[in-house]
Amino acid sequence: MSRVVLFIALRQLWDRKLLNGIAVLGVMLGVIVLIAINGIMQGFQTKFLDNILKISPHVTIFDKQLRPAPPLLARYADDFVTARVSHESPSDRQLRISRPNEIVRALERLPNVAAASALLNGSAVVALGSKQYPVDLRGIEPLTQDRVTPISQYVKAGSYRPLANGEGILLGNGVATRIGAKVDDILTVGSPLGVSKSVKVIGIFDSGIPPVDASRVYVSLHDAQTILGKPDVVGRIEVKLIDTDRAMGMAEQVERMFGYDAESWQETNANFLALFRQQNTIIGFVVGAILMVGGFGILAIQIMIVLQKTRDIAILRSVGFHRRDILVAFLLQGFLISLIGGLMGDGIGHWVLVALGRLKTKQEGLVKSEYFLVYDDPRFYFYGLAFAMAVGLIASFIPAWRGSRVEPVDVLRGQLG
Amino acid sequence: MSDVGPSSVPSGAPSTRRPPAPRLPWPEPGRVVLECRGLSRDLGTTVLTRVLSNVSLRVHEREFVSVTGASGSGKSTLLYLLGALDRPTEGSVLIDGQDASAEDDEGRAVLRSEKLGFVFQFHFLLPEFTVLENVMLPMLRRGARSSSSVREHAREVIAAMGLGELEKRRPNQLSGGQQQRVSIARAVANDPRIILADEPTGNLDSKNGEVVMSVFESLVRNQGITVVMVTHERDFAAHASRQLVMYDGEIVEDRDQRA
Repeated sequence: MSRVVLFIALRQLWDRKLLNGIAVLGVMLGVIVLIAINGIMQGFQTKFLDNILKISPHVTIFDKQLRPAPPLLARYADDFVTARVSHESPSDRQLRISRPNEIVRALERLPNVAAASALLNGSAVVALGSKQYPVDLRGIEPLTQDRVTPISQYVKAGSYRPLANGEGILLGNGVATRIGAKVDDILTVGSPLGVSKSVKVIGIFDSGIPPVDASRVYVSLHDAQTILGKPDVVGRIEVKLIDTDRAMGMAEQVERMFGYDAESWQETNANFLALFRQQNTIIGFVVGAILMVGGFGILAIQIMIVLQKTRDIAILRSVGFHRRDILVAFLLQGFLISLIGGLMGDGIGHWVLVALGRLKTKQEGLVKSEYFLVYDDPRFYFYGLAFAMAVGLIASFIPAWRGSRVEPVDVLRGQLG
Repeated sequence: MSDVGPSSVPSGAPSTRRPPAPRLPWPEPGRVVLECRGLSRDLGTTVLTRVLSNVSLRVHEREFVSVTGASGSGKSTLLYLLGALDRPTEGSVLIDGQDASAEDDEGRAVLRSEKLGFVFQFHFLLPEFTVLENVMLPMLRRGARSSSSVREHAREVIAAMGLGELEKRRPNQLSGGQQQRVSIARAVANDPRIILADEPTGNLDSKNGEVVMSVFESLVRNQGITVVMVTHERDFAAHASRQLVMYDGEIVEDRDQRA
């Protein structure tokens, strides 16, 4: 590209400030929308996933055996035997993870495993005075569990420490609110198969995920086994990973190693992740459509300019300018319109995200926040600019091509222009 | 370039369309710089009309050739073909010995840039560029000179056309005659061997027409440039050293006016 072509492109751009300004505005708005919508959606999704990954395990091993031991009679399949088969009552069959401590130790030796902890969970009811509330009771080994899901970080009132001594109950913020419990209150916790136990509220946690805070309570593993009527039973092992993206592979590996059903955090939250993917696809379509409109703006304006400039193109061609000079001159204009629009969109888009991030709001749904949730990712600006440039170049190619095909003799004969 | 412009027009130039008399003698023509052989051109999409029919012509160095004829006689078509702006249906065009009809688009663009200069009826200046920039653009595209040299040369040419003080103006701030002189300056600036002018006086009053004629004469006499001018005005055609008359796509008269 020669400098004179750049000079012509710049001068023609500048000379049609209003028209080209409108085209720049179209691109700019498209990029702002791209950044703002992505920032808002990603803000929500990132916050949700961050919280989920902190308060929930990355891999959970359940008490369901994938390869249960064969029945005793199976070993006599080819011989005549006399046997009396007594029916085993279903209630006697206790689902449990066998040798949980060995599994925890084995897990912690695996690469990519940061921590593992055994627990027992089940449904229970907490009661304070006349108020009763069903909860998800989790019996944990407080010290190891805190390395897997750092509950202590979310304690807003009271303390997590007494739990390590096997004392008390830690309530989710929502649970405490529902039954009106405060630290040091004595609650009764019970379940249909176990016993009722009076426990002292040692703390109240707020994980930032309302569904968790409204249902979950923590007690020591021993207390949970008592309350749920499952002495010495471990129902789950939770694992924290170093690289959370490898959770699905890790779950499969754990299943192969220990024979228990294991689930990654992606499987646990598959519904949400699918929803997010769908949201992102819709956003992609919306933003793409807006940028396309910007692109059509460039297309329309450039075609108009080419039609207006037909005579000038003929002059340039007659004084020795090549077809490709004309093509490049108009492509350059499209490129510059999208570059300027893209950069302005990036700048204003960033400002919009910062402003939205400072906007006070009360959100309580899947995640809890006092501010508008936004996520400012440098990739948004890159994508915005790249997409704007691509749209601008594609949109200006048609008029540029058309301009380069102008035959000066047709204009001079008066058939064009 | 100082002896090119309207300042070189005889001071007592009459305001009528009659050429001044007595005239200076024309220089002797040199070698052939522009030639066409058996040139024909058909126009139209569904029904083809032959607008130029088997025209052969040789134009020499230092010739000022006028082409006259009625509307539709094929004079502009001949000019566009000679200027490598159009492709002939039959025949060939040699510009300074180079066969333009054998060149592709790019080759013809290079020929136009290096050998030819064009002046059109409606000036055809680029409106968003100043006088100076309009004159500089073809030189910048050709790339034979440095940027500073291009600017310097453009200023010289503009000054020679008597427009030195207008170089920063845009075309819409100039009169018709001034615009036509700028377009001549643009045509001359790239040091072409041949200038092709299509009705250069068609949009001018007689006074400005005379000025344009004097510029062309001066270019031929003082710089050895060949000028081929299409005009329908016989008075201006009489300025040329050689007059061609066209009728129905053929040259019917070729008159040497040097005597």
